[in-house]
Amino acid sequence: MLSLLGGIFLGWSLGANDASNVFGSAVAARMVKFWTAAILASVFVLLGALLEGQAGIETLKGLTPLNPEQAVVSSVAAAVTVTIMTIFSLPVSTSQAVVGAILGVALLNQNINIPGLGKVVACWIGTPVGGIILAIMIYRVLAFIYNRLNINLFQADNLLRLSLIGAGSYGAYALGANNVANVTAVFVGAGELTLFSAVLLGGLSIDIGILTFSRRVMETVGRRLVKLDPFSALVVLLAEAITVHIYTIIGVPVSTSQAVIGAVLGVGIIKGIRTVEGRTLINILVGWFFTPAIAAVIALSIYFAIQLRYVPTG
Amino acid sequence: MPKLFFKKQHQVKALIYEYLGYLETSRKHFAEAINTCLETGVCDDFDFRIRLTHKFESKADDVREKIKELMYGKALLPESRGDIMGLLEAMDKVPRLFELVLHMIKTQKLVIPNFIAPDIKELLEVSFENCELMIKQVKTLFERAKGIRFLVSTIDLNESRCDHIERGIITKIFDSDLDPFQKLQLKEMVINMGEISDQTDRVSKRVNIISMKRRV
Repeated sequence: MLSLLGGIFLGWSLGANDASNVFGSAVAARMVKFWTAAILASVFVLLGALLEGQAGIETLKGLTPLNPEQAVVSSVAAAVTVTIMTIFSLPVSTSQAVVGAILGVALLNQNINIPGLGKVVACWIGTPVGGIILAIMIYRVLAFIYNRLNINLFQADNLLRLSLIGAGSYGAYALGANNVANVTAVFVGAGELTLFSAVLLGGLSIDIGILTFSRRVMETVGRRLVKLDPFSALVVLLAEAITVHIYTIIGVPVSTSQAVIGAVLGVGIIKGIRTVEGRTLINILVGWFFTPAIAAVIALSIYFAIQLRYVPTG
Repeated sequence: MPKLFFKKQHQVKALIYEYLGYLETSRKHFAEAINTCLETGVCDDFDFRIRLTHKFESKADDVREKIKELMYGKALLPESRGDIMGLLEAMDKVPRLFELVLHMIKTQKLVIPNFIAPDIKELLEVSFENCELMIKQVKTLFERAKGIRFLVSTIDLNESRCDHIERGIITKIFDSDLDPFQKLQLKEMVINMGEISDQTDRVSKRVNIISMKRRV
């Protein structure tokens, strides 16, 4: 159990941070009570993990063969990377930290699945791009339907509220299905967990993060999304959820935050306004290179540190 | 959508209708007070109507506060909360104008001269029509989205007519042999009466914007 702590911590941190991407806007706008959102998110994250979490695990465990010791090292390295970058307020994606840590260990093994890695990196780039494209498409389709509904202010309000809760639940499902691999894939690769126990443990640890520590993040991160009008916030949520779900089907864990940024950018394009600061986009680019690199260095450092032995002289 | 799920929205809607009811009652008492003044020529004997106008203006204020409390207790989307509060505040200026005009007449002991009485009556009739249209427009916003634009143009047209009547009355006042001080007093009263239709026009445009904002 101790050897799984790194993964559980990662799951906890994921739940605490990423639940804001799916229910942040609704909670910050006080449309949904925190506990309603947290319980809905927990249920759907677990459902997503159990029903569709296996594909991502298969991809990550296929990047390099790991022994139990290396699995613990890569999971702890990813957890340390996420913690350090969060402390220094740097943008961080758990998916990129996990892949970086696995790569660090893979360098030692001199065994990297290059096509698998290529697929993962391509999906990282494709995440914000997918968010942009889907947001534009969803906006056009939903606006066409919405503008033809003869509904009054209260009905429009109720419709948007229900849609935001529905899209949030779907987003939580996609989050669980996609990101559970980050939490426990390395342990499946090392033969420490079965696929079912991995998705169950991963889903539950994300749930613990949501239930114990996501409130503040939901309220602060959600406020940024609330600045959008409710219809645009719904489009962003749906685009993010569908993007993440598509990558779940492909079997690559991606960053929900980057999908959100892409979707917000897409809404900005369609409305002809600037919704994302240039610095945020630069941060994504920097994150693509630095997060895996830092995680790999930390994994290597931890691995060398545990190999050190006291050899008495004389 | 089922009432069970959106209890607070239904409460807000019911309170808005209550508010509109008080607004309409306040307008009726104002009209009766002014008519007493115009028909009998005695304007210092309508304290009872003033009290009633104030009573319903004050009741409308209380309802507005209740709506505010309910909305900020997590009913409606934040954008809708702001829109509805802005709308109620804009509407609230109308009964305040009723009170202001009545108090001006009472405290300054104004007597409306016969030569402007028909014009004043016409100005108020058109303003009252605008008040009714404004209430109808607000109800339309909360019942169904269609028909708001048509009401905007009717209210706008009436507002222009009121401006025209208002200018005519002021010209007549200053062409008369009245005491200059009385002329200024009457001018101020007429301007405040004209402000009623101006305010309904502002509310109407606000309703239109709220409705337009809900198109994406």
